[in-house]
Amino acid sequence: MDNSIAQMSSVSKIYQRSGVETRALHNVTFEAHPGELVLILGPSGSGKTTFLTLLAGLQRPTTGDVLMFGKNVNKYSDKELQMLRARRIGFIFQTFYLLDSLTSFENIMLIMKFSGLDKTTASKRAEELLDRFGVKHLKNALPKTLSQGEKQRIAVARALANGAELILADEPTGSLATQQGMIIISFLKEIIKSENKCVIISSHDERIKSSADRVIQLSDGEII
Amino acid sequence: MYSVKTLLNQYLRFIITAFGIALCVILMLFLLAVYKGAADGAVQYIKSNDADIWVMQNNANNILRNTSFISSNLNRTLSEIDGVKSVSSILFLLASVKTGDHPASIYLAGYDPKSVKGRPPMIIRGRNIEKDNEIVLDNSFAAKYRIKTGDRIVIKRDTLIVTGLSTGTNLFVLQYGFVTLRKAREMLGFPGYVSVYLIDTSEGGKISEVVKSIFDKIPGIAVYDNLTFLENNSYEMKSGVLPILFVVAFIGGVILTAILSLILSVYVLERRQDYAIMKAIGSPSGFITWMVVEQALILAGSGMFLAFIMFFPLLNLVGKISPEVTAESSASQLIIVSVSLIVISLISSIIPALKLRRIYPLEVFY
Repeated sequence: MDNSIAQMSSVSKIYQRSGVETRALHNVTFEAHPGELVLILGPSGSGKTTFLTLLAGLQRPTTGDVLMFGKNVNKYSDKELQMLRARRIGFIFQTFYLLDSLTSFENIMLIMKFSGLDKTTASKRAEELLDRFGVKHLKNALPKTLSQGEKQRIAVARALANGAELILADEPTGSLATQQGMIIISFLKEIIKSENKCVIISSHDERIKSSADRVIQLSDGEII
Repeated sequence: MYSVKTLLNQYLRFIITAFGIALCVILMLFLLAVYKGAADGAVQYIKSNDADIWVMQNNANNILRNTSFISSNLNRTLSEIDGVKSVSSILFLLASVKTGDHPASIYLAGYDPKSVKGRPPMIIRGRNIEKDNEIVLDNSFAAKYRIKTGDRIVIKRDTLIVTGLSTGTNLFVLQYGFVTLRKAREMLGFPGYVSVYLIDTSEGGKISEVVKSIFDKIPGIAVYDNLTFLENNSYEMKSGVLPILFVVAFIGGVILTAILSLILSVYVLERRQDYAIMKAIGSPSGFITWMVVEQALILAGSGMFLAFIMFFPLLNLVGKISPEVTAESSASQLIIVSVSLIVISLISSIIPALKLRRIYPLEVFY
């Protein structure tokens, strides 16, 4: 489809370690569009993370084509892929991965620095995001002083700060209590609705299923 | 922002590192100051005499590391040469001063107290010599052996009264003492010799022509105009003991580079995850590399700041503990060390920057 943000066509990914081949993905075909929440569901070792990192341009497929924003990732230079991640893709990690020497505000500002946004605009946007996710009062707090739920809100704010069209979330509810997890998912749903973004979540958490527009079930590297 | 915060996150390590850098910088500053002090001090005596021409024994070209004995009978011959206004003579000899358990060596300059040539550059305490049983000592030598004006010291079999203390008479490894020419000859045991003749030319006379006339009239001697003689002595000092100071300063710089590189590498390894996250979310590679350089510059700058604060009080302290060490600091030395430190910071960032390249964004996903 023309308006697809991310596309995979017969993608396989094979890792080679010490001469041993490990097949992480096999013959996967997939596409995602703006305004939808796609859940990549599968148990540990099913290839979810490989799926996500291929879409992020952090690695290239062994065979098949991955298209990001209409262009094959193999045709992007390393610099272009870096720019893509800085400007058009947002990341949410299971363990949040906030930089612990920076405050909440500075963590959000950092991604905007990478995307080349000017400091005044970036600062204003960071304030807005902190307010939107109800953590404005934690602006100057260091990650070590925050609860898990607060950390994930900051992480979501960081993922949105660069105005990303595609949000890739790796087990976003994995470190959260059920209620906190569902709050984060509802935040993401709201973003999809209000800003027409595409969110792809990789998870083994069956509870997210009901919130997803589409569910892709992975098992041993294959879509089932 | 991230660089500063990461460094300050472990403020004790930051302080210790900055302090270590400061000590290396102080070492470099101190060696440069000693170099300048010794290089300038070695020729100050020659400068202060301001003679137009220096005459020495054949093949001798300086007074620091050459022996020169030349007949005292040449005084009259030199005085009669056209263009010569005045002739003074100095006899140099190494002597031992009895100081407690160990004798101390002193470089004696014997000169005629009635002449203006041959005197110490500056008397900072007491007065110049007038009689044969008097001596002026270099101030740092006197301070080292706790000798005061009015004290009596024994050189060979003579007891001399210290009438004054001089400056500009420290040769780094040796210090000057001043006695009368007659006393110096008596100590040497050969009355008919001097080491150098200092000649002033008549006003309007051409120094080169006088030099030529001296060569013509007295073959087999060495004759130098003042500038050449200064250069000879300066070269002798700089090519002799002083290069070792540069070698030690260089080693200090290498050690500093290694320490800084190690510390920065530790910071990179400790923050491996942070760098992987930054790479994953789209940090330009130059941004991360610059952070390491920035950390190197912050550490070096902090060390330099501490060094500049501590250096001058430490220099005074060294002067009190070892008065014979003449150290002369200058703005140019501070600039040289500052520039060197920037270069060291950049060099020490290379290994940590290479380590950064081996941190992969995928690390945060697995």
